[in-house]
Amino acid sequence: MPEALAQALINGVIAGTILAVPALGFTAIFAVLNYPNFAIGALATVGAYAGWVGNTALGLPMVAALALAFSATAVAGLVVQWAAVKPLESAGALMMAIASLAAGLVLENALRFGFGNDLRGYDLPLLRDWRFGEFRVGPQQVQNFALALAAMGMLWAFLRYSRTGRAMRAVADNRDLALLRGVDPARVAAVTVAVGAGLAGMGGMLVGLDTSVDPLVGTRLVLSIFAAAVLGGLGSIPGAVAGAIAIGVAEEVAVLAFNPAYRLVVGFVVILAVLTLRPAGLFGARAS
Amino acid sequence: MTLFTRRATLAAGSALLAAPHAVRAQGAPIRLGTLTPLTGAGGPYGPVMANCVRAVITEVNAAGGVLGRQIQLVSEDDQTNPEAGLRSARKLIDVDRVAAIMGTWASSVTTAVAPLCWESRTFLATVSGADSITALPHNGWLVRTQPNTTLQGRKFGEYAIELGARRAFFMAPQTPFTQSQFTNMKTAMERAGGTAELLVYDASKPSLRTEVDQALRFRPDIIVMGGYTPDTTVLLRDIFRAGYTGRKLAFAYSVNQQMLSALPNDVTEGIHTLAPSPAENSGGFARVKRIVGNDNPDPYTCQVYDHVNLVLMAMAAGRDGTGQAIRDSIRSVSQGGGEKVDNALDGLRAIAAGRKVDYDGASGPCDFTDAGDISDCQFRYEQVRAGRQTLLRIA
Amino acid sequence: MVSYIVFLLVVAGIYALLAQSLCLAWGVTGLVNLGLAGFFAIGAYASATLTKWGGVPVPVGLLAAMLAGAVAGFVVCVSTLRLRDDYLAIVTLGFAEAVRVIASNEIWLTGGTDGISGIPAGLPRDWGQGFHLAALGIVTAILGVVWLALRRLVASPWGRALRAVREDQIVAAVAGKHVTRLKAEAFAIAAAIAALAGALYGHYTSYIAPEIFQPLITIYVFLAVTAGGNGRPTGAAFGAYLLIAFLEATRFAAEVLPGVSAVQAAALREASVGVALILLLRLRPRGLFPELNQKAPA
Repeated sequence: MPEALAQALINGVIAGTILAVPALGFTAIFAVLNYPNFAIGALATVGAYAGWVGNTALGLPMVAALALAFSATAVAGLVVQWAAVKPLESAGALMMAIASLAAGLVLENALRFGFGNDLRGYDLPLLRDWRFGEFRVGPQQVQNFALALAAMGMLWAFLRYSRTGRAMRAVADNRDLALLRGVDPARVAAVTVAVGAGLAGMGGMLVGLDTSVDPLVGTRLVLSIFAAAVLGGLGSIPGAVAGAIAIGVAEEVAVLAFNPAYRLVVGFVVILAVLTLRPAGLFGARAS
Repeated sequence: MTLFTRRATLAAGSALLAAPHAVRAQGAPIRLGTLTPLTGAGGPYGPVMANCVRAVITEVNAAGGVLGRQIQLVSEDDQTNPEAGLRSARKLIDVDRVAAIMGTWASSVTTAVAPLCWESRTFLATVSGADSITALPHNGWLVRTQPNTTLQGRKFGEYAIELGARRAFFMAPQTPFTQSQFTNMKTAMERAGGTAELLVYDASKPSLRTEVDQALRFRPDIIVMGGYTPDTTVLLRDIFRAGYTGRKLAFAYSVNQQMLSALPNDVTEGIHTLAPSPAENSGGFARVKRIVGNDNPDPYTCQVYDHVNLVLMAMAAGRDGTGQAIRDSIRSVSQGGGEKVDNALDGLRAIAAGRKVDYDGASGPCDFTDAGDISDCQFRYEQVRAGRQTLLRIA
Repeated sequence: MVSYIVFLLVVAGIYALLAQSLCLAWGVTGLVNLGLAGFFAIGAYASATLTKWGGVPVPVGLLAAMLAGAVAGFVVCVSTLRLRDDYLAIVTLGFAEAVRVIASNEIWLTGGTDGISGIPAGLPRDWGQGFHLAALGIVTAILGVVWLALRRLVASPWGRALRAVREDQIVAAVAGKHVTRLKAEAFAIAAAIAALAGALYGHYTSYIAPEIFQPLITIYVFLAVTAGGNGRPTGAAFGAYLLIAFLEATRFAAEVLPGVSAVQAAALREASVGVALILLLRLRPRGLFPELNQKAPA
């Protein structure tokens, strides 16, 4: 059994790294705009379709398709923000959250209207896993893992070194202080939504590469995304990454430990346990 | 249809309801309904089913309809949800006054709407797999074209043995027929000295790597897949990546045209599938191929094709466009000898000429027991080769 | 046509009960319950299993459902009450999914994905239209009782304290209110009302299955409560009837839409629910029955 456990750990880390990409998007929007964006699942679906169109209809290579997924979803995220969420800014975080939930339903059905319910697959060959003794790792998993890491690296560099990125962090840390320092809040909010939604779209495409694309591909992820973000501490960027990897591992180990059909319950129990024992999550400090 | 004509037909329909039978036969349209999933988890299956029914009805209308009356089709969405399904069924029955509802897919939706159908004398034809459905106290108001799990599970087990397998690993999400399908398969395997194991996975999980690892630890010589198309796609990818090269067996409704075009050929190569089937030379299957425009019509589409043909002919044989006529006459057109037909056009012509027909459809001979289950069916054994279903045999 | 309308009125009455639940939790207390479908399910299963397999009479089943709902509501909310309110939204969303997974897999307890059919109604089903009219009477009467009770609660000092908590927790706490206790009480009562709705649904339709309790139901109720006015029981109830009218009207509208396929029409119907909710939140956030101006004594 120790080999089985180790293999489940490997699978979990890879699954968690991919989950980290949309979880980062979710938590970034929460950090700066202060509301949970429940359209995140539908936005991931938008990215999956955008990448699929880029890959199969336009013949784009993987990295270009991923860039397309990012940009298309960034636009979709901005539309959701401007059309549904922003008008409710004064009504509070909960109203914005509910508006985003409704916007997600609209996005999902807009995709269904355009593409139907049929399953779509990327135009890519599938490779057998590499074997290392008892263990196995898939070349595509490694590639997706690397792409996810690269996306996170770019986000980190953006937050650390660019003017806008630093402004985003300033707003997330202390909104009032940031305003005093002359940060333009509207601009920061727009960039955050674009980047956050774009990351969700990239995550959707990475998952779509591994599964197939249909109008529910992103919706199936939302609970894991929330669990990851809460576990890491809502609004914490490193927390989202750690939380996603932890959730990824927990979901795989749970397959061995008990009934695999209970994956969603694992996510729920993790959320409940974290909030009861350490509500700030692994990294967060702003829960209450 | 414009709003005006819709109102007009509604008004005309309700006026005629009060009129005696002879007047109604003059040509008020007969309404039929489909209730298939167009959104939700059943979304990949429902739309093509509804289109197939529409195509058959268009053809029959062009040839003069049934009993001199045109057929109007109303297609509703059950959202793969019994609550929404119930509201849709109520509307079909009470507002559209359909004579029959066809194509209910999810077992839960069928179970929810069945009482409504038999209470309101509306005929129900379903493709749902749960064994419990035909055990409902429906009094003949329901038929099901999907083979029950006792039959299907046994066929799966026997076919696995025939393929030379002794250790079967059954992987499926939790559905109303997962457990009994597995039990029946296991019994058939054990009778031949084999063994079987079950793993129920979460169909919404984006990767099933660890589940596949669990399966491989069992050292199976056949993996049997009991899911639907979206989750079976994930499962097949992970089985391929794991380097498994043994046999694979699945339902034909999951390994369908959509999946074959969404996955690379080497992932689907060699999968064996089973589907209920008519005899080899039946024309029904060929007609469905033409309607859906590909060589691998979904078994559910084949079944709903049979529903609409049977319903149309039963109304003609019962000389009335009502649910009652369908219930009373469906077995007189589906079985019991007579002129063999595989489509409603030929059947309606023969019935009009006073001949008895025996329909053999696209999903099988469509002979029903008193409980509404198919009494016998052959299976088409197919194997995926280079991204296409290749027929091995029908038996 | 009459039986269709009677049926819709019963279903709308059940949705109106769900709307009463959300009105208390969200509208009055400010607790977003995205797991309404889960509490709906718990009530349905509690009463169905007890009356069908345990042989208890239907009224006892209804009470048991409310008790089960209240306990579940307390357990779910207790871990998040000291946190920002959006945590509760995430927890309840996960809760509803967890309930569905458990209902699907614990076959010994819930009948699994097969569901439970033949749930007793407490009334003879062979009355035909009489059965549906009687059900309409009972559901509407129960809704009336809950509505009256809720109105009184909302107007009571307890209700004013809840609104104070909603407006500003810190101020309410400083003013000597037990904020967490008030929230837990309100949430548990709201969960019990949702569970009662679930129990009634099962007894009326005779069948429940995990697939009924999908997140879309929760979105429907949010639409209902937003349309009617989330702070007033009258508005919430009225909104539920509007919701069912809207859901059914889109069905007929979709039929006369030219040039769209069946899937496209279905997609438009679902999308219209989201669009309606967004528009209402934006243009008429206080609903048709805005909260009366009872300023909380802060």
